[in-house]
Parts: sequence; C-alpha cells; structure tokens
Amino acid sequence: MSDALILNVVLFLPVLGTVLLLVVPPKKEDFVRGLSLGVMLVQLALTAWLYCRYDATVPGVQFETRLPWIPGWGVYYQIGLDGYNLLLVALTAFLGPLVVAGAFTAIQKDVKLFYAMVFLIQFAMLGAFVAQDLFLFYLFWEAMMIPMFFIIGIWGGERRIYATFKFVLYTAFGSILMLAALIYLVYSLNATSGVTSFAFVDLYRAELPLPVQTLLLAAFGLSFAIKVPIVPLHTWLPDAHVEAPTAGSVILAGVLLKMGTYGFMKLGFPLFPDATRMFAPLIGTLAVVSIIYGACLALVQTDIKKIIAYSSISHLGFVMLGLISLDLIGIQGAVIQMVSHGIVAGGLFLVVGMIYERCHTRELAVYGGIAKLMPVYSVFVAVLTLAAIGLPTTSGFTGEFMVLLGAFSAAWPLYQQGATYPLIVSVSAVSGVVLGALYMLLFAQRFLFGAAKAPHQPLVDLDAREKVILATILVAVFALGLFPAEPLRKTELAARDFQQRVAAERTGAAVAARAAEAPAMPAPEQPNAAAEPNPSVK
Amino acid sequence: MNWANILTSFLPENLLLAGIVVLIGLEIVGAKERSALPASLLALLLATAAAACLSLNGFAFEAFPGHFSVDGQSLLAKAIVLALAVPVLLISRHEIAQRQFHILILSSLYGVCLLLSADSFLTLFLGIELMSLPVYALVLLAYRRPESAEAALKYLVLGGAATATLLMGVSLLYGATGSLALSTFGDALASTDTMARVAVVLVIAAFFLKAAVVPFHAWAPDAYETAAVPVTAYMAVLVKAGVLLAAVRLFGAANVTGPVANLLALLPLISIVWGNLAAMRQQSFRRMIAYSSIAHAGYLFYAFLGDAAGRFQAVAFYVIAYGVMNLLAFAALPPDDDDAARDRLDNLRGLFHRRPYAALMLAVAMLSLAGIPPMPGFVAKFLIFRNVIAAGFTFYGVLGLIGSYLGIYFYLRVIQYLFMSADAPEAKNDAAGRLTVGASVLCLLIVIAISVFPGWVIDQL
Repeated sequence: MSDALILNVVLFLPVLGTVLLLVVPPKKEDFVRGLSLGVMLVQLALTAWLYCRYDATVPGVQFETRLPWIPGWGVYYQIGLDGYNLLLVALTAFLGPLVVAGAFTAIQKDVKLFYAMVFLIQFAMLGAFVAQDLFLFYLFWEAMMIPMFFIIGIWGGERRIYATFKFVLYTAFGSILMLAALIYLVYSLNATSGVTSFAFVDLYRAELPLPVQTLLLAAFGLSFAIKVPIVPLHTWLPDAHVEAPTAGSVILAGVLLKMGTYGFMKLGFPLFPDATRMFAPLIGTLAVVSIIYGACLALVQTDIKKIIAYSSISHLGFVMLGLISLDLIGIQGAVIQMVSHGIVAGGLFLVVGMIYERCHTRELAVYGGIAKLMPVYSVFVAVLTLAAIGLPTTSGFTGEFMVLLGAFSAAWPLYQQGATYPLIVSVSAVSGVVLGALYMLLFAQRFLFGAAKAPHQPLVDLDAREKVILATILVAVFALGLFPAEPLRKTELAARDFQQRVAAERTGAAVAARAAEAPAMPAPEQPNAAAEPNPSVK
Repeated sequence: MNWANILTSFLPENLLLAGIVVLIGLEIVGAKERSALPASLLALLLATAAAACLSLNGFAFEAFPGHFSVDGQSLLAKAIVLALAVPVLLISRHEIAQRQFHILILSSLYGVCLLLSADSFLTLFLGIELMSLPVYALVLLAYRRPESAEAALKYLVLGGAATATLLMGVSLLYGATGSLALSTFGDALASTDTMARVAVVLVIAAFFLKAAVVPFHAWAPDAYETAAVPVTAYMAVLVKAGVLLAAVRLFGAANVTGPVANLLALLPLISIVWGNLAAMRQQSFRRMIAYSSIAHAGYLFYAFLGDAAGRFQAVAFYVIAYGVMNLLAFAALPPDDDDAARDRLDNLRGLFHRRPYAALMLAVAMLSLAGIPPMPGFVAKFLIFRNVIAAGFTFYGVLGLIGSYLGIYFYLRVIQYLFMSADAPEAKNDAAGRLTVGASVLCLLIVIAISVFPGWVIDQL
C-alpha cells in the first residue's frame, strides 16, 4: 500500500468508525467503547508509520493525493503531509485514543452519539491539517465546529447551552469573514494571473496590493485569532472549557486551539507577507498581552479547569510570539510549543476530569492534601504541573525556551538599530514564564499538599486504565523534552520555508518591478520551497 | 407544422395533463381516494423522466415561436422542479386524503413547466397564474385550523396584487418597447427610459412578491404555518423554485449593473437579515421555516447580480440544495394529531431519545439550511457569493455573508431542542408513515450525494 493511500486511510478511518457505530445496537455500550478505541489505535499506528516514513530532507508536500473534486472551480481534493502539519497530525492521532479511553466511565449518556461525534471532530481536525487546498481546508475548518457544538451541548456541565452557543457563534463569525476573504483572494488570483485555483501553492503566488493584503489578513486573522484565542477574542474559551466534558476539553485544548496558530503559520502570514511584516509589532504585542493577561487571570481562578483554560491562552501566546518573531529558532520553538501544549494541557484536563469524576466539583478550595489521599494520582499531577511550568527535560521547556530565544535574537539587531519596542515586547514575555510558575505551583500546593480534604471520601486512587492513559502522556512529555532534535529535524525545512515566504515582497509594485526585469513569468507548477527565495530581507 | 416535435416539446406538460385527466376520471367513477397517489406519482415520475431524457438528448424546439420554446436548459429546469415534487407527493400520503390535492398539485406543476418555457410575457403570465391559483386552494384544503382561511385570503390578496403589479409592469414595457417578448426585459434593464425603468421595477417587484422577499413577504409566515405540511413544503420549495428559475429565464443574458443592481442587492440583503432575525423569535417550526425561506429568497436573488454567465448554474444548484434540505426537514418532522402542537418547537425537545433517526435527519436539514459545510447548503451559498464577489459586488457579498451568519443561531437552536433538552414530553404515537420515511431517506441520500460530489452536480448544470 502506498504511503499516500495510508494517509487517506488515516483521514477517513474516523468516518468508517462513525458508520460502524451506526450499525452497532445501542445497548452494547461496552462494545461501542472498545470499537472506538480500536479504530483510534489503528489510526495512531498508521500515523506513526507515516511519521517514520516522512523524509525530513525533502521540502514540500509528501504523500500527496490530488483528485479533481469541483473541477469547474479549480477545487481539488488535495491532501498531504509537510513539515507544517506533520507534528500536528501526529498530535491529533496521539490524543485520539486517550480521549476515547478517558471517556470510558465519564460518558454514560448517549454513548454511541458521543463516540460518533469524537470521530467526526477527529476527521475534521485531521482534514484541516492535511488539506493542501483552501476550499477543502475551509470545509474542514468550519465543519469542526459542529461536533464540538454537540459535545459541549449534550455532555457538558450546567451552563452547557450557553457555553456551546457562545463557542459556535464566536467561531462562526470568524469563519464567515474568512469565507468572504477566501473568495476575494481566489478571485484576485484569477484576475491577476488567470489561474482559478484554491491550491495553497498557487495562492502563495498571488500578488496583492498592501491595503488588500491588510484587509484579507484581518479577515483571516480574526478567524484564526478567535480559535487561538488571542486576547481580547478569548472570552468564549473559559466558558467552553469549563462546561465541556473532559474529552471535549482535551480535544479543545489539545488540538482545536492549535488550528488557530496553524492557520496563521500555514495561511495567514505566508499568504499576506507584506501586511504581516507591517503589523508584526502589533501581532507581537497582542501575543505578549495574551501571555501576561492569560497568566494573570489563571492566577486568580478558583475553578481548576479555568486555571488550565487561562493558562492555555498564555501558552498559545508563546506560539504566536515565536511565529511572528520570524526567527528560525522562534518558529521551530512555536511548533514544538504547539505540540507540547497539546500534550500537557490535554493531560492536565484528563487529571482534572479524573478528580471531577470522583468528587463532582472543580472548586480548588474544597481540595487539599490530595498527595496523601491519592498518591499515584498526585505524582502524575505534579509532573504535569512541572511540564506546564516548563521545567527542563519536559516538553514545555523546549518550546518556551526556543520561542524566547527566537524573540530575543529577532529583537536584538533591531535594538542595535535604535528600535527598543521589539526588545521590550520580548522581555515582557519572560514575565509570562514567571507568572506561569507562580499559578501552577500555587495550584499544586493548594491541591496536592496541606491538610488532607476532599468532598467525597474515601478517594479511590487511579485504576489501571487511568494509569495507562497518564503514563502515555508522561512518556510523550519527556520524549519531547529530552529528544527534541528529532521532531525539530522534520519541521526545519518547513520553518525555513515559512520564514522565506513571510520575508518575500508580494505587493503589486514588486510584481511590476520583477516584470520589468524579466518578462518571462515563472512556471506555474513551482515546488513549495523554491518559491520566492529572498533571504536578504531577514 | 411538425406535430411530432410540438408534441415532444410539450411532453412533460402533456404527461401531467394526462395525470390530471386520469385523476378526474377516477373521481367520476368513484374510485377509492387512495388510488389518487399512485396515479399522480406515476404521471409525475413520467413527466420528470421525459424532461430529463429530452434535456440529456439536447432536444430544442420552438413549438410556438415567440411564446413557447424548449431547450436543454429549460428542460433541465423542468426536470429539477418536477423531481423536487416527488417527495411532496410521498409525504402527502399520511397527511391529506383528498384527491383534489393531487389534481391541484399537478395543475400547479403544469403552470411551473409553462413558466419555464415562456418566451413572451403572455405565456409567463399564464404560467404564473396557473402555478399560483391551485396553491391558494391548497392552503385551504385539508385545513386543520381556523387560521387557514385567513392565511389563504391573505395569500390570495397579496398574490392578486403581485399579478396586478406584473400586468402593470408588462403593459408599461409594451408601451415602451412595443413588444411582449421576454427578451425586451433584458433591453429594458439597460434602458434609460423612465417608462422602461418603472416597468422593470414593477416586474421585479412581482417576482419578489411571489418569492417572498422583504418587504413583500408578509403572506409567507401565515400561509406556511397554517397550511398542511405537504402544502407548506410545496410552497416553500416548488413555488420558490419555479419563480426563481423563471426569473433566470426572464433576465436571460442581460447584465445586471447600475441602479437595478442596487435594487436587486438591497432588498435581498434586507430579506436575508430580516428573515434570519425574525426566525430567531419564532416558536413554531413552520413559521421559522417561512422566515428562513425569506432569507433564502434573498440569497437566491443575489445570484442575479453581475453578468449572466453562471447565473442559471448558481440558481439551479441552490434550488436543488435548498429544496432537498427543506423537504428533508418536512419529511422528518414527526406527525401529531394536533396540528398546532406538532408545529411547536417545544415539542421537538428530546426527540433524539424518542426518534433518533428523525432527529438526526432534522439535524442534517438544519445544518444544511444554516450553510454549514460540507452540507449542500454551503456549496450552494458559496457558489452564489463567489459570483457576487467576482462580479465586483464585494460590499454586498460581505454584508450578505454576515447576514447569513445571523441565521446560524436559530437553526442550531432546533438542534439544541432535539438533542440537548432532556425533558421529552409524554411519549406519543408519532411514528412517521412508511412513505414519509421513504421520502426522508431519499432526501437524505441526495443530501449526502451532493455533499460528497458537488462537482459532479455542478458540472451537470
């Protein structure tokens, strides 16, 4: 079986899972759970195979499938793996079985529908990552909203209806503007070059005047920024996280939020490079505001889930900072930080879910000295807390350190030229690390240590299933912390590619200048990395 | 005279006519009421097949030069409309017993077919009236509530006003151009003559009224709510499809720019926004669908902006997608002896636990109506907005999209009732009849097929 076919199988396996669930009689709930876990494990195994087969030395898209889908519009079913999405696909496939297994006891209502929705969101998320065609990407991007709407709305907490509508209405608003921008972008590509195409590689070549780039970046950016979320567009996140069931929170924090940063990395910044460079200080500022504001809010929360929710805003601020630093180390750090946050925040939501299943409350104040009541559980909580802080040897350290390093090395030359603002922004970001340590340690101290108290005693420590889930997460945390070189190698070419694309001049003036120099137009089918080699700008 | 060709070009209409005659014959000989459905269904299917086959063969003939002609496009439009009527007949099996229902539906469809082949305003007028008159009666037929009479009267009066407006517009057009040919409308669009402009506005207003575009929409919520469900489905899907496809024929190859473009963009835009806003407050399912259809009429008229290329494709695809998802919603709506209770959205609470498949199908219909990908509603909307933005009406395009955003809330609210409300009302016998289930499964399959292969459907249009 060719690897491209395996990628298609990985993508469509959740759909197959949904169809299988449809025919299972509803009474057999344990069978439904086992079947779902089995499908997710197969998907993980196939993804691992693809990850190993991925050739880090080859630029561009690998395992590509390209079939005409709406030929009249130039829309193709075009998917493939590249350095941008490889780690995120792996992350999605990695979290899949954990989400399914984590919900074995927590979900007792409408079990079949629940796993069907988990499958559908898995399908949509993977699809959005592997899509190499803007129409396909948008389709998956928007479709992702619906299973989440169900997951929060049916299996959520008390204010689930409010939270789920808030989530949908926020994200849909961004998507609508992105849709308008998308149509405009494709139409302008058609008007300037005569090519009607939604393929990313073609769109990267669209030449747009700066005002248009700015507007389109604003529209795409708004949609992505809501998903990330960047302050001040973050208010849906705490509600959605708190009301969602554990599985929903894990998916949301683990993968869904990365959609936003992935969108910026794959589309927002490279499609509109001139506008991105112009607004880089603003984007950087917003990233740092998110880092600090999220951390400050996490500091004062009394609900455990809200602490992690706000910490997500802070951690994703680092990702944004790394991307906009446009420094190779910063970009690489952002990618690692995305994966690391996915694993760590996913793990934290799982441990919160486990205590919630036992005590039915997430109020931090009612807990204390859990280390005495549930010793095994507490070890996992402690390690995940340290990973969230970014202790060396954990995955959190690699990402944040590289992002800060990248931000500094981008800001320092500017400082020497007399621009102090980028340096101030970079330095302020460090305070996020300090605040992060503060709120996580405060949480661990109150939760794990002190006088033993819990609303529901005696507390049963973790069973085998829960131990396996958390141990898997810890393995990933340390693997990424101790051996970051391997994933970094696989994403390096993509990071360089991203850097070059954002550095490229692509306003109308640049086109005119180039046309005057060389009348011959570039060949239409250029490979990804070869487009716009312009290293002198950065 | 080539009689064979004349008869062939009338084949779909003639088959419908044969169906009507057979139904009347059955009435005379006093056959059972139940025999009406197979007869009308057979006539309808034959007519659909005839239109589709002729269209595939590329049959084109001017049967009555200047008044009635068929070509591939008009036959395709007829095939689409007739095919959409099939589920309507299927769901009527358990709702309406009277034979008159079938006679009236077939007559109205005859009008739609006439409309889609019209070359002159005379035929157009004939078609519109033949399409509308049976519907006035249909609203009253099999009525289950006293409000039906009021709604039918309202519809009749406003429909009459539309007729008068159309006739006024046509006579002014005749005065300005001295011809009743449909093509004069295209010339009048570009004309600077005041009389021609007034004529254009009046004709467009008549079409707006028939398609329920704000501010000519007042009849729709009442009529939709109080008519029997199959009749509502017929009005929401078939009448709208007929009017819009006829409008494509009316506009022909004309470019829509200048002041007319603003009229054709502004009122539909208001329609989109108002329809979606008003739908949010509705507590009745059919009333909500009525406001939703007002919004959808807005999207549909957006397709007329800009140049004519791709207009038929956009409208036809939208009509198919919109028709199938509406029919799916009506077919999946669980029956109830009390018509008013059946309509209450509250009654859908917790339906997933009582009737999971009905709830899932309603959910698919709602998501599609909301234009969530990958449902057909999304591709249809994309097609229209792509044309609008490509034609340079970016401003209206963006506003229209924001208007469509407003609609998401109330469609999802239905899903909230279906899945997320635990308090199901007392268990009732609300099992849907077999044919209704068949109709809903048919619609669902088409929805899935369009979602997976939108490119194929677009290529056929």
